Amino acid sequence: MSFVDIVLMVAIITGAVYLLYRSVWKKKGHCPGCDSGTCDTKKKYNPKDC
Amino acid sequence: MMQDTGYKIQDKDMHHASGIMHQRTITVAVAGNPNSGKSTLINAIAGTRLYVGNWPGVTVEKKSASFEYEGTNIKLVDLPGTYSLSPYTQEEIIARNYLVHEKPDAIINVVDATNLERNLYLTVQLLELGIPVVMALNIHDEALSKGYKIDIKTMEDILGIKVIPTVATKKTGLSDLLMAVTASTSGHNPKKLNYGSDIEVAASAVEKQIKNNYPQLLEKYPLRWLVFKLMEEDSHVMEELNIGDSVSFIEETTKHLKKAHGDDVESIMADERYALASGLTHEVLKKPEFRKMELTEKIDKIVLNRFLGIPIFLAAMWVVFKLTFDFSAPFADWIDAMTTGPFKRWAEAILGFIHAPAWTASLATDGIIAGVGFVLVFVPVIFAMMFFITFLEGSGYMARAAFVMDRAMHAIGLHGKSFIPMLLGFGCNVPAVYATRVLENPRDKALTSLLIPLMSCGARLPVYVVFIGAFFTAYAGTVLWSLYVMGIALAVLMGIIFKRTLFKGESPMFIMELPPYRMPSFRSLMIHTWEKGKHFLIKAGTYILAVSILVWFLLNLPWGIENKKDSYLGKMGQVIAPVLAPVGFGNWEAASSLVSGLIAKEIVVSTMGEIYVQKKDEKKEQPALTDDLKEMGTSFANAVKDSASNVISTFGIASLSSEESKEEKEERSPLRDVIKSKFTPLSAYAFITFVLLYMPCVVVAIAMRQEFGTWKWFGIAFAYQMALAWIVAFAIYQGGKLLGLG
Repeated sequence: MSFVDIVLMVAIITGAVYLLYRSVWKKKGHCPGCDSGTCDTKKKYNPKDC
Repeated sequence: MMQDTGYKIQDKDMHHASGIMHQRTITVAVAGNPNSGKSTLINAIAGTRLYVGNWPGVTVEKKSASFEYEGTNIKLVDLPGTYSLSPYTQEEIIARNYLVHEKPDAIINVVDATNLERNLYLTVQLLELGIPVVMALNIHDEALSKGYKIDIKTMEDILGIKVIPTVATKKTGLSDLLMAVTASTSGHNPKKLNYGSDIEVAASAVEKQIKNNYPQLLEKYPLRWLVFKLMEEDSHVMEELNIGDSVSFIEETTKHLKKAHGDDVESIMADERYALASGLTHEVLKKPEFRKMELTEKIDKIVLNRFLGIPIFLAAMWVVFKLTFDFSAPFADWIDAMTTGPFKRWAEAILGFIHAPAWTASLATDGIIAGVGFVLVFVPVIFAMMFFITFLEGSGYMARAAFVMDRAMHAIGLHGKSFIPMLLGFGCNVPAVYATRVLENPRDKALTSLLIPLMSCGARLPVYVVFIGAFFTAYAGTVLWSLYVMGIALAVLMGIIFKRTLFKGESPMFIMELPPYRMPSFRSLMIHTWEKGKHFLIKAGTYILAVSILVWFLLNLPWGIENKKDSYLGKMGQVIAPVLAPVGFGNWEAASSLVSGLIAKEIVVSTMGEIYVQKKDEKKEQPALTDDLKEMGTSFANAVKDSASNVISTFGIASLSSEESKEEKEERSPLRDVIKSKFTPLSAYAFITFVLLYMPCVVVAIAMRQEFGTWKWFGIAFAYQMALAWIVAFAIYQGGKLLGLG
């Protein structure tokens, strides 16, 4: 196993750990609700829809 | 289709004025009784996808949506449904605090036109806040179809506010509503309703005292609302004001009132508000003299029958699970075939083409594709399940389910209202924990939160489906149903134990509004199925991907090992395996999968995919890309055909048990084949039971910590669920062996 392999491996593991931390802890598992971005949308009202 | 009542905003200048104002921003609170259609109205206006359901208490926190209307930025704030502004439940407190402290520019009061009197009680209270109010007289079409005649002009005159008939589900009346809202913010405040001379005299005296002695409060609170709250000696307001002994002037001014009515001021005020709501209703509403029995009442006579209620609920669940399997199984097979076939081959070809190191090819195929792929296989099952749950919610049946479960819930010291968060738990336990906010006291909240993880969430489905597909194809729907029923039964059992230990005390009374049955629109069903199901896709692309990568490293380190058993994950599994031996799956593979499943239950399957599925047919001739694409199209068309025939078929699950395609399926489902060789039907059932019951996932732990401000309740949930999972799996496995089923 070369030095490049080890660096690549460490980078992948670090990325995976960060992704896990971000999605589980910060994004609360992406479960339904505001944290998953279902609200606070900004749109232009289209009266033709009504 | 609702008839347009002809209401048009009178002040055209105001309309034009709103057009020339440049990017004025207004905040509009949307308030109303539970299940009056607030979230549906916001979704219809702003194009959002807030969670809606035909039952009270769907929204438990305030949510917002912004949009532009004729040069005005409007921020709509969806408040939880409340019957009054008295602060007894958490959602009432959220709504009240927002209206009083955030001071929105206007309020859209969403009123259910079919329940006018009850809804007007809140309207009367909203008018006390001195904030411009526009009434959205929602569900107007149903009121018309019932033969109700509502005199909108008289209602506007009496209340001094604009009343706009709307049907949020059909997007009717929304332009008129927005026009009235933008006009109201630049106009007058609502007029004061007269509460009778006794109350008004006392109120004037208190108002004078406030103006003279506490002018600083006027900047913070709406005057009339503050006067009434002080007269009612509202504990939250008194505590917040911290004016202590100075309240003697209030006692002095309300003494006569109390003496004259022989009651406390809060009750006198409540009576007066009810009288106003009732009087107004009699004034403006005309109901048909002869009322025929409505469909809702006819259905409820059967569905809510004290003997038939629970069997019907169990039967409804069985039908849901059966349909879920029948519909989704062919699509699951199709995705399985794609991930283990073409996708894997393409990834290998691309990595080979760019001369990537050999281990990265293994990481991509045996780690990421095997791990994430085995979870993606079950996306159709999850979406099908969410579709049927959304249908039951939208139809109004879920509220009945809570009602019929009321007696069982009383046995465990809770009431039927606690069953609503539990029902939400069938989708995902995380929002279910947040939904405990609908419960009045902390005891109910804590007890319900402890029981929610026993409700089988969608994340556990992939595990069930793999094992059911391997061992119980002939009874797939029934086995799946048994797991959900077991979860509910054990929740009742654990509730009884908790009631006698941690949560002693009487169960509160249950008063729940039963909404009428409604046929949810197909569009709404699709949107909310997507909203519920999409987070499983996001999970697959985020933390299931991350865990799959980490599991691959744990399975391949230390570098150069010959056998996965010698890997870090293998060694960890071997330490835990002896504990699981008495429950029927004391091998390191099952133990390791259960450990990784602590992050999310789907990961049990992805880890098994990485551990069990070995590379094979290395020298097999690779089909061309065009052949792969052709095969994908053909097999998808077959999946659609199989799915349709499964749903209409009254027998078994053709796609999982079809003899003619058995060989083909075996080749396509390597994980099922390996599981067949590692488990027996008995140990498989014990394993899926263990997965149903063992600790809640990490995200539920975080939700519990957030809701209760302590890790204590999660700690209790973790400890009791681990013990429960082991004991039940032990009983199933050892009991089954004793009966000769092993």
